[in-house]
Amino acid sequence: MSGSKIKTVLIDLSGTIHIDDQEIHNSKDSLKRLRSQNVNVKFVTNTTKESKKCLLNRLNGIGFDIKPSEIFTSLTAARHLIEKRDLRPLMIVDDRALEEFEGITQTDNPNAVLIGLAPDKFNYKTMNTAFRLIQDGCPLIAIHKARYYKKTEELALGPGPFVTALEYATDTTSHIVGKPEASFFLSSVEEFNCQPEECVMIGDDVRDDIGGAQKTGMLGILVRTGKYRIRDEDKISPPPYKVVDNFQQAVDVIVNELL
Amino acid sequence: MSWCKNVKGVLLDITGVLFESGASEPIKGSIEAIKRLKDSKIPVRFCTNETTKTRQKLLQKLHSIGFSMTEEDVFPPIPACCQILKSRGLRPHLVVNPDALSDFSDVNQENPNCVVLGDATDNFSYQNLNKAFQLLMSLETPVLFALGGGKYYKEGSDLTLDVGPFAKALEYACDVEAEIVGKPSKSFFGAVLQDLGQPAECVVMIGDDIVNDVGGAQSCGMRGVQVRLENTGHLMKTTQQ
Repeated sequence: MSGSKIKTVLIDLSGTIHIDDQEIHNSKDSLKRLRSQNVNVKFVTNTTKESKKCLLNRLNGIGFDIKPSEIFTSLTAARHLIEKRDLRPLMIVDDRALEEFEGITQTDNPNAVLIGLAPDKFNYKTMNTAFRLIQDGCPLIAIHKARYYKKTEELALGPGPFVTALEYATDTTSHIVGKPEASFFLSSVEEFNCQPEECVMIGDDVRDDIGGAQKTGMLGILVRTGKYRIRDEDKISPPPYKVVDNFQQAVDVIVNELL
Repeated sequence: MSWCKNVKGVLLDITGVLFESGASEPIKGSIEAIKRLKDSKIPVRFCTNETTKTRQKLLQKLHSIGFSMTEEDVFPPIPACCQILKSRGLRPHLVVNPDALSDFSDVNQENPNCVVLGDATDNFSYQNLNKAFQLLMSLETPVLFALGGGKYYKEGSDLTLDVGPFAKALEYACDVEAEIVGKPSKSFFGAVLQDLGQPAECVVMIGDDIVNDVGGAQSCGMRGVQVRLENTGHLMKTTQQ
């Protein structure tokens, strides 16, 4: 049992409350139930394919009631880093995500490599371009390093394997801005003035959602939806605070045990 | 030099030692150097991780630029891999260069139960790697073969990604460890040493790759010599003294 009461609930999106355009079992009603409690809610996502606007359109189209300010994405975190360090990155990101980077200089003379989930751009030629830049000393910034994600019918490769390939080829370590980095979780709750111990994270990715959040001192509740595969909970130590069937049960745990 | 004493056999890398990837002429002095080894009755085998073409095409290329080795003396990963696949009853899903495909023609590829990753160059696309990933995730015991472990090599004037990074990508995605067929794997070197008929401590491996050639050979008990381009001819000469 946690020592302090929970003040903030962080919720992953894809695979946790929806998959593509489908709501996951009773997530809309469960979110309403959570909102009727005295807690902050923030949606934290590693979705790198879609800008926040695309995400909101999709979520509100499914019938979720979510405001732009409630979403914290790895793209936002990446943009902050690029601006802070004044970088001109080669952007290997999906076209739909590019609008998140409006105003960032696109250049023929990049001094960094930014890599997101970009199936159309992960080809041998682009990978070689990125490899040569990093070999020449450009930093490799990864929006996140997820191994794979769940599409409607199947699992598909995430950006992580491609980041790993470049790290291995160049003997470097990437700078990750999304989950599971501690700075990502901590920035997402900054506005609420609460301690990590007062936050709980709900997600379907045992390493990126649960492992990452728990490392900062938050609680993690793993849902058996989305990309969850049997025995995923054994992959991290300490194990998730709770493992439940879906978001609805996660909300039950929070309302009944943590508030 | 102590490294070239008591040498009874020599293993040679091909690309980067005999010719540069993409080039159509031998590296200076390399034809003569092999000839001197032959004249000195030092047996030579060619140990390559080349998987962008069939063994036959590789041999044709070597002959066309002036070398005269026979097919039996050239050890690329694909024939070794085919042997492993057959002996273990494995049916591969291939992510390889189209020019190398025909070397797999006598291996059953229906209903695949493993993945073989070669230097696929332009075939290293998201779609192809994703298919390999999905197959591995669907298997109870995922088996991934990487034809060599190199990180990159020189193609023309540029460095180019080799198969190793893409094998790492699938290892990371599927939580598996690839079995390397080719350099620097011990069993690969072991098979070549057996063919050479000399104990490892009497054999020198010469190559341009510190991990695959030099490191791999030395962890098998051989001596490893790394060539810098301009020194190739010189090193070959001292080997036979």
